[in-house]
Amino acid sequence: MANLSIPSIRERLFNTSRHETTTQRSTNPFSASSFKGNVLTADVFESSTKQNQPVFTGKLKASALVGTISGIGEKFQNIINSVVGFGVRVKDSVVNGWNKLEGIEISFNPLKERMTSTYNSIKEIMGTSISDLMSTGISAKSVSKMEDMTAARNMLAEHVTAWESAV
Amino acid sequence: MVVDKKTVKNVTNIIEGLGMNPNSESIGILEDIGTNSKVDAIREMTSRALVKRNEHDSLSVVITNKGKGINDMSTVVAMSTINELLSLTDKTEAMQILTDTVEQHSDEEVRDNARSVKALMALS
Repeated sequence: MANLSIPSIRERLFNTSRHETTTQRSTNPFSASSFKGNVLTADVFESSTKQNQPVFTGKLKASALVGTISGIGEKFQNIINSVVGFGVRVKDSVVNGWNKLEGIEISFNPLKERMTSTYNSIKEIMGTSISDLMSTGISAKSVSKMEDMTAARNMLAEHVTAWESAV
Repeated sequence: MVVDKKTVKNVTNIIEGLGMNPNSESIGILEDIGTNSKVDAIREMTSRALVKRNEHDSLSVVITNKGKGINDMSTVVAMSTINELLSLTDKTEAMQILTDTVEQHSDEEVRDNARSVKALMALS
């Protein structure tokens, strides 16, 4: 019969090391009672492969969760990086396009100068401006070649009268 | 009332064209219509066209006639005509007409004007 005196109970509660020496190597719930006083020296109920598998404790769960969170953050970071990269490429494209436009605009200046010089050359050759040729009015050149002086007199009189009447 | 640009341009071109027309009758047209216009701008354009022609008859119109060319009542017209005379490359004919006007013209004011312009042309 077990010793249930107060000192013995206290000793078992606060000085357990001496009692655990007999049950230390076993997880067998029946090992304490033993079989007729013979204590089994080996844990025959425990699988040999079980020791190799990691035990999934609470800490491991938390660690896995943190790892998952950090993985999600990495994915987000990758997405952000790709978006930023896309923006940089767009910006580069726009800048390059603008530079090309500026180049095109500069390249048009010689054309403008060429057109101006051509216009001036035509003006010099023909002795009058293109606007004079395009207009339906009377040109000095045509009057200078008129042979009918009566018509020239009437023309001048008509237009001078129109001017004088407007004043 | 404002004169439209087309009318001004037409009158300018006709006067300029008649000034270049080789027909001597064009000088008479400019004298009759242009120098007798009541519009100062038309008289000014006509006088300048006659001076540019640089012929005896055309220069005589703006030098010897009272109220025309250098003798115009409008200072702008007179000064513009004198300026055109001073701009001539060949002033021989103009100087000859001015000399004759100073010596022979009946109107004293015309003579005085011709003398002044002749002095200016001699200095230029």
